[in-house]
Amino acid sequence: MIEIILFLVFMSCGFIFGQLAEKRHFKSIVEREQQLNSLPVVASRYPPEDTAYHQQLVSGSVVVASDYFKSFTAGLINIFGGVVTPFESLLDRGRREAILRMKAEAGKLNAELVFNVKLETTRIATGRAGAIEVLAYGTAMLPVDAGRANAINSSSANDLSAIDSAPVASGSVPRR
Amino acid sequence: MRYENRQAPEGINVTKVNPLVQFLKFFIASIIVVVLIVVILQVAGGAIAKRIPFKYELQLMDTVDPQLGTTGASREMIAYLNDLAFRVGRELPVDEGISVKVHYSTEEVFNAFATIGGNLLFYRGLLNEMPHENALAMVMAHEIAHVNHRDPVASLGGGVASLIAMSMFTGMSGLAGDFFNKTYSFTGMQFTRRMEETADEAALGAVNALYGHVNGAGVLFEVMGEIKGDSEAIPDWLERFAVTHPLSNDRVSAVRILAAKNGWSSEGETTPLPADFLLWLNRD
Repeated sequence: MIEIILFLVFMSCGFIFGQLAEKRHFKSIVEREQQLNSLPVVASRYPPEDTAYHQQLVSGSVVVASDYFKSFTAGLINIFGGVVTPFESLLDRGRREAILRMKAEAGKLNAELVFNVKLETTRIATGRAGAIEVLAYGTAMLPVDAGRANAINSSSANDLSAIDSAPVASGSVPRR
Repeated sequence: MRYENRQAPEGINVTKVNPLVQFLKFFIASIIVVVLIVVILQVAGGAIAKRIPFKYELQLMDTVDPQLGTTGASREMIAYLNDLAFRVGRELPVDEGISVKVHYSTEEVFNAFATIGGNLLFYRGLLNEMPHENALAMVMAHEIAHVNHRDPVASLGGGVASLIAMSMFTGMSGLAGDFFNKTYSFTGMQFTRRMEETADEAALGAVNALYGHVNGAGVLFEVMGEIKGDSEAIPDWLERFAVTHPLSNDRVSAVRILAAKNGWSSEGETTPLPADFLLWLNRD
């Protein structure tokens, strides 16, 4: 009896709080996406060749946990197969949040673009708890003037960041 | 060159479903699947296991040689219990080749059970609560009936088959695995409960044949109800579903109904336990 009650409590809490958290998160994501929309994020490996840029690695990562209801329902779907819809929204939130964090970092550096953006997803939770980490990283393209100013401010602050000393100019971009 | 990110339409990466409807659909479907698996494997596994000749059970127990009962426990008690088993067994339609051996454990556990190879184990905790031989004979007959119905081997066969299937099933269902294990246990309990009811009926007939009445036979279940206590916090319908044995109250009623149905007398003098019974009981 106590197990049935606990199960119902966990499922209800997972459903109610999970849905609330998700709605709130999506609302925040949409707002910030609009705010940061002026900073393009491009998957291409080839940056524009008509302007001189400094380049800097920018990244954003997020860890999002599943809730009891989602994990339970996903477990049921695993038996029969099909689209694991409870995790679709979880991954969508993770990807968008990671890109937003990366964009926020690039925005602080006054980057004009972020190039060669990649996403990595990892399941990090142990046991049966479900949580994912999504990492977005790319090359922020900083106009030469902005890059010089940021080099002084941020190269010592962020170990992951590395600014090329030579600006990338037209015709000097290595192609593979 | 100009780059821009257009806002993608909201929700294109998430399938639109009602999570509650989706959950209910899969929940009900998986319960049906689990119940079907367990029922099929319990029935099939049990039926196949029952076809294994009893002599193999004996051979298995000889090979495994498990320690049943307490070493050095009262010999008189063991002899008395085996004598009672012999007397009760004569009144039961025991199949040819089936034999029972009674073991005695001095642990204070209110229980007795039948296992593979016709081995019965009686605990001091149960014997201590027996008011007269009629009640003890009912327990004895009940356990012998289990052996005769090949319930221990059927439980083992059906249980192992469904356990293997369930471990595969739950292994891929993550958090829902625990729930499936519960569903499996509850479904399995329906089988053991049926075995218990059938054994009760056979045992009551044996007690009636042995003593000429069934007075005192139901005492066992009354004592059981007092000691184990059918939970008052749980509704009866739920408890009936979630326990391996029928509820004590239900068994007391069943004794009355069976006696009336078969014309067995519910009145008669009970047979006392041997005079030294308590002495044997308290000897380690």
